[in-house]
Amino acid sequence: MASVHESLYFNPMMTNGVVHANVFGIKDWVTPYKIAVLVLLNEMGRTGEGAVSLMERRRLNQLLLPLLQGPDITLSKLYKLIEESCPQLANSVQIRIKLMAEGELKDMEQFFDDLSDSFSGTEPEVHKTSVVGLFLRHMILAYSKLSFSQVFKLYTALQQYFQNGEKKSVEDTDMELTSREEGERKMEKEELDVSIREEEVSCSGPLSQKQAEFFLSQQASLLKNDETKALTPASLQKELNNLLKFNPDFAEAHYLSYLNNLRVQDVFSSTHSLLHYFDRLILTGAESKSNGEEGYGRSLRYAALNLAALHCRFGHYQQAELALQEAIRIAQESNDHVCLQHCLSWLYVLGQKRSDSYVLLEHSVKKAVHFGLPYLASLGIQSLVQQRAFAGKTANKLMDALKDSDLLHWKHSLSELIDISIAQKTAIWRLYGRSTMALQQAQMLLSMNSLEAVNAGVQQNNTESFAVALCHLAELHAEQGCFAAASEVLKHLKERFPPNSQHAQLWMLCDQKIQFDRAMNDGKYHLADSLVTGITALNSIEGVYRKAIVLQAQNQMSEAHKLLQKLLIHCQKIRNTEMVISVLLSVAELYWRSSSPTIALPVLLQALALSKEYRLQYLASETVLNLAFAQLILGIPEQALSLLHMAIEPILADGAVLDKGRAMFLVAKCQVASAAAYDPPKKTEALEAAIENLNEAKNYFAKVDCKEQIRDVVYFQARLYHTLGKTQERNRCAMLFRQLHQELPSHGVPLINHL
Amino acid sequence: MAASPSVVPMAAPVMPVLSSSSDFSNLREIKKQLLLIAGLTRERGLLHSSKWSAELAFSLPALPLAELQPPPPITEEDAQDMDAYTLAKAYFDVKEYDRAAHFLHGCNSKKAYFLYMYSRYLSGEKKKDDETVDSLGPLEKGQVKNEALRELRVELSKKHQARELDGFGLYLYGVVLRKLDLVKEAIDVFVEATHVLPLHWGAWLELCNLITDKEMLKFLSLPDTWMKEFFLAHIYTELQLIEEALQKYQNLIDVGFSKSSYIVSQIAVAYHNIRDIDKALSIFNELRKQDPYRIENMDTFSNLLYVRSMKSELSYLAHNLCEIDKYRVETCCVIGNYYSLRSQHEKAALYFQRALKLNPRYLGAWTLMGHEYMEMKNTSAAIQAYRHAIEVNKRDYRAWYGLGQTYEILKMPFYCLYYYRRAHQLRPNDSRMLVALGECYEKLNQLVEAKKCYWRAYAVGDVEKMALVKLAKLHEQLTESEQAAQCYIKYIQDIYSCGEIVEHLEESTAFRYLAQYYFKCKLWDEASTCAQKCCAFNDTREEGKALLRQILQLRNQGETPSTEMPAPFFLPASLSANNTPTRRVSPLNLSSVTP
Repeated sequence: MASVHESLYFNPMMTNGVVHANVFGIKDWVTPYKIAVLVLLNEMGRTGEGAVSLMERRRLNQLLLPLLQGPDITLSKLYKLIEESCPQLANSVQIRIKLMAEGELKDMEQFFDDLSDSFSGTEPEVHKTSVVGLFLRHMILAYSKLSFSQVFKLYTALQQYFQNGEKKSVEDTDMELTSREEGERKMEKEELDVSIREEEVSCSGPLSQKQAEFFLSQQASLLKNDETKALTPASLQKELNNLLKFNPDFAEAHYLSYLNNLRVQDVFSSTHSLLHYFDRLILTGAESKSNGEEGYGRSLRYAALNLAALHCRFGHYQQAELALQEAIRIAQESNDHVCLQHCLSWLYVLGQKRSDSYVLLEHSVKKAVHFGLPYLASLGIQSLVQQRAFAGKTANKLMDALKDSDLLHWKHSLSELIDISIAQKTAIWRLYGRSTMALQQAQMLLSMNSLEAVNAGVQQNNTESFAVALCHLAELHAEQGCFAAASEVLKHLKERFPPNSQHAQLWMLCDQKIQFDRAMNDGKYHLADSLVTGITALNSIEGVYRKAIVLQAQNQMSEAHKLLQKLLIHCQKIRNTEMVISVLLSVAELYWRSSSPTIALPVLLQALALSKEYRLQYLASETVLNLAFAQLILGIPEQALSLLHMAIEPILADGAVLDKGRAMFLVAKCQVASAAAYDPPKKTEALEAAIENLNEAKNYFAKVDCKEQIRDVVYFQARLYHTLGKTQERNRCAMLFRQLHQELPSHGVPLINHL
Repeated sequence: MAASPSVVPMAAPVMPVLSSSSDFSNLREIKKQLLLIAGLTRERGLLHSSKWSAELAFSLPALPLAELQPPPPITEEDAQDMDAYTLAKAYFDVKEYDRAAHFLHGCNSKKAYFLYMYSRYLSGEKKKDDETVDSLGPLEKGQVKNEALRELRVELSKKHQARELDGFGLYLYGVVLRKLDLVKEAIDVFVEATHVLPLHWGAWLELCNLITDKEMLKFLSLPDTWMKEFFLAHIYTELQLIEEALQKYQNLIDVGFSKSSYIVSQIAVAYHNIRDIDKALSIFNELRKQDPYRIENMDTFSNLLYVRSMKSELSYLAHNLCEIDKYRVETCCVIGNYYSLRSQHEKAALYFQRALKLNPRYLGAWTLMGHEYMEMKNTSAAIQAYRHAIEVNKRDYRAWYGLGQTYEILKMPFYCLYYYRRAHQLRPNDSRMLVALGECYEKLNQLVEAKKCYWRAYAVGDVEKMALVKLAKLHEQLTESEQAAQCYIKYIQDIYSCGEIVEHLEESTAFRYLAQYYFKCKLWDEASTCAQKCCAFNDTREEGKALLRQILQLRNQGETPSTEMPAPFFLPASLSANNTPTRRVSPLNLSSVTP
């Protein structure tokens, strides 16, 4: 089931679902790299229209923005980048920088004096308020602010920068030319290198405020949307530490460090970073006059709220509640309804862990709409839908609600929530047992283009909703026996969400479940048993359930029964209806397998009532199957047959292949059983029909490799052919049966006494 | 970790005296060594070490003429470099480091080589400081480095591998490594330096700064010399192992260093750290008499005066220091404290800021500034100041505590728990953090945790004597009357055994509760004693009298009174059991899930 992740509820870098970079005044200064970029801009202006082809110009223009915003890079890298888009320009830039660096200080001074010319004239090359224009003006301003010694320092830095670039290119071109002297020099250099290994991490040097902000917002949005593309936790932390070393006041870095620590589930460091962030934020809030006292108090409230969020994410619910209470109290004191709104949503998230009171949530949604917080409102609606779905509300109401919130999403372009909404629909359809609809929704999400800006060549981000949809897809395919397709989907999942990323658990569970089902079908119980541990680690309830199934299959009835009873009580307590019904079915199976079908009946009726109440059609039809089987055993096949007619349609329409096979097999059995009372011609007809049904069942079973079932079917067919006197067919079936029987050891269960 | 003694190159034969023994039996020998090393360090421009050795030498009795050490013989190499060295030393003394280095280039003697490298190092440091003012941008500030360091490291490491470095050279190598943040290597080199030249205090002091806990200290293989005792005493003080430190210092005084102002000041600081204010004050006063123009450690002294609210003494100290040198960090700090005591917090903050301008790494000033901002109710500035303090030194428990207090004032009891807990981890023995923690838990209605905190606060030796009362009130709230009564009894016991006549507001409350408790338990004698005590206080007088009347009434109704004589106090034996705090306790495990 697609769950609305807690982290979506609050993120201070985000308002209404949009991540903002913090803007606190533009502070920039001239570096050698910036001079190189200025030279490039200048050259571009000088070359005019004719010299550079349109394609090249377009490529250059595309290159410019990352150059202006990104961190400083080495000269050789810069040359390479320019060369890729326009070789001739790269050459002239190289020459000009060489002239400047090998010339005198006055060359640089002259260069900056000439820079402002590009704004003058009747038709200036650069518009003053364009991106490039702003950059130029910033640079000119920053340059004219420099003191005497700073100008000189900048010039020596430029020379250094140039020489480093040269050295690199020399090394690249003639590596073989190493005289003794150079070797010596190299050794010294190596020695130096050893000493500065720690510093090498930050080869890019210090970032300017603008560059740092760009870096932070980029990484933050990557963490949210596509974790695999962000830096690895360790290297990101290194970068952040570096950034903080240069400017400890850069509070946002602490927040990113908090997010990064969350990625690796480090409670201590993340608490530390979070609190540090807010300590720092408080100071910046107080410093900026426009915010005044209001801004300061605001950050306090959000500090407490965030602490609550942190504790909740780590599962410290009691601590989270205390922190939340604090946030609510402070927010109430200062009449901050927006903050209170956030608190309310969190209160629900916390409450969800204990009991299901959706009063809070309904209230939250109403208030959020009132205060104009569409993001929070529709997040609330989605949570509500999820909860109602579990509580067994009718599908049409839920879909209506989702449709309404979808309107809201499209209106406000909340692409993230659109994705979640579709993933949720997929999950709901599956919950109700409508595999076709689920399949359709999943496909829709996957073939949809994201509204948000994503990296070139990719249409979507790697968010949780995609992981959920893909997992459903894999399971749906596996159900239909398309194991190759399912494993293809899983392979894709593995690529998109590597094992250590935050949504990897989803596909891991899905993968294990599919493998488990296959192993069970194949009769390889030991294999299934070994998978149980993995499943338990990811989802304990599921794990216990599967363990019970394995035990049951291995004929360890009493252990299985014990486990199932325990599980039943637990699931009833946490109101996991889906699991309750599955457990009831297993219990019923246990009963008839231990030859007491009469006890199984009330259990099955209970399961049927539950699944009807919660509209879990898939489980309902499975329950009906079980009921029919119980009736068959009890000797009322006619009754069973009429019951089956009720259930067969949804099973054939939406059910898994295995269930289809089982249903057909059961139908055949019932037909044979009821035919016993018929007169001979009619009986033959009935048996023929049964054989047809058995063939169908056999096909279904073959799809999912259920050898045991096939064996039973073949045996049954052989018997029927024998009765009908068709010796040839009988012998064929008998031979098949013998082959299969040798392959599979019998577990001592009467062959037919099996659904 | 440390270089084993066997691989350490032996001290150069030039200084045969410098191999020192570990006992203090021969004070004359020690004095000779101290005088010698003072000269050697002076020649090399290591002024602080020279000062320290000279101070210590001064505290020992003077030597007769016959015993005086002749200056060490001059070697061939020294003679060759004599002119260059003399010139360079003159330049060095007027802080023209580059010039000094220029003239020393190519010198071979050990002394000249050291001065050459040292001037290059200092020149780099000086330039770094100048750069900081004139950097290209705000983010570059942290990036300004001593450019010379890397070259120095390469050269020194070559010499080090070739075993050509003497004790001073090793020291300089260590300093360079430390400045490059290569802590582990630096420690190794410093240890080696102390083996080669144990008398050089600078190397020991650097080692002190690098060692962060007791475990690290255990694994160092240090030379067995009398200098080690000074080092251990110093580092124990740094690591807050005050009792061990005091023990060491006492030993040093006993063997004859009683006149050393260094040891006296260190003892005073140690007493300050364990909050034995009176002792620390008297020692500081003594110290000032001996050495009236001393500025070091005077900030600690002023803290003590501040705590005792001794306005006139603090004012005198401030004016005195200001006359001696007003541009010293310590002076600024003392003046800041003075203004703070006069409740002129803006001015106080100004002086702390000045102290920070003089030395940005002077940790105490950040914390004190935080306190001032707290007084001014400028919480955000206070948080900023405390955060700065923590950035300089993560182990500054006062800053953590201050942050906690700030958030407590902002009425965020849950939020401040984190900060108090950090402070508590750093000072597990300090009852103030525990009481603060307890109060927060109480506000959060986490009474079990609160009780734990108060109890621990009492167990480690409560400074403010409030933990027991708070604990008693908690028990009272939870209607655990038995425990509440016991706490009150202990509280009263504590106050009386303390013998101080300080007004304890809660005394009356304790007696009132006890009177009622005994009354309920029908222990008439005890009840009436307590009720009588109640009458001594204004706020409980009426209640006490009423209770006495009731007791009398009930007694007359009941059987014959058994004893007429009122029992002095009902003190169960188990309660007066030893309650001396254990010396070093681990931090309280409050709740496992929260960091």
